[in-house]
Amino acid sequence: MTLSVALGPDTQESTQTGTAVSTGTLTAPDIPWNLVIWNDPVNLMSYVSYVFQSYFGYSETKANKLMMEVHKKGRSIVAHGSKEQVEQHAVAMHGYGLWATVEKATGGNSGGGKSGGPGKGKGKRG
Amino acid sequence: MAKAFKYGLKGITGFLEPAERELLRSLFDDVVSMLEPGDSGSQDPLAAMIGLDMDVREPSDRALRRLLPNVMKDDGAASLEFRQLTERSLRETKIGALRAAALDLDKDELVLADADARHWSMALNDVRLVLAERLDIQDEADADHVHQMQDWSQAEDVESYLALVYNFTTWLQESLVQAMLQAMESQP
Repeated sequence: MTLSVALGPDTQESTQTGTAVSTGTLTAPDIPWNLVIWNDPVNLMSYVSYVFQSYFGYSETKANKLMMEVHKKGRSIVAHGSKEQVEQHAVAMHGYGLWATVEKATGGNSGGGKSGGPGKGKGKRG
Repeated sequence: MAKAFKYGLKGITGFLEPAERELLRSLFDDVVSMLEPGDSGSQDPLAAMIGLDMDVREPSDRALRRLLPNVMKDDGAASLEFRQLTERSLRETKIGALRAAALDLDKDELVLADADARHWSMALNDVRLVLAERLDIQDEADADHVHQMQDWSQAEDVESYLALVYNFTTWLQESLVQAMLQAMESQP
């Protein structure tokens, strides 16, 4: 996979979303929810990685890392955000047939990708 | 025999025999009829218009529950409330993808633009989720067991037939997703 597919460092994502709510003021109390993807024996690894890349705009490397975490650990936190944001992501994931739930972050952010971010502008698909 | 989907100059192309098209069409139709809401007649028209469905319940059918899962793991009440707001439009999204894929089956040549390919991948995935529930695929071992069924001449009962259909749709989806990943790579 060429580098041109990677959409820039993850840390820049929240400044690129173009939605007023997700810029600037992301203090801890505003981002207390996680989007969790659960493992199942049906969904193809390639498909899960494709969904992470195309929906969230994650790089192939990051998408594969999260996909492998789902596969090996049974679940992975793939994005953080406000309750409304992760709920919107969950519905999109259900549209793709992935098994997604939302949960309150329990501090520490132990699992999952470094900072999932609320996703990029592509989030309105599907 | 069907050919694997490929990404090339024309976009994503595939080839399916008439019998395979027929099979896929009936699978897509089956899942559409599972997803069509039952008694829309009793719906409050305004609520229906904005996508609300206050009568909705968590599905009792396991396959349907997998297609329309709860949004919270351990909170049935909150999940139900969320379902009332979102399930109708989720069903419509899925039905839309399944119908779009079924329509493509009427064309002579299977050439898929980005959006078509996405609909196909979603439709095939939903078909596989339903078949997997019917085949009782609960874990990786079950999946491996079903995967061993590759010989159509051995299809002697419903279960072995379903396993073959499942394996066919798995192979088809895998080839499609590989082509989609290739397409994504070449269109940054």
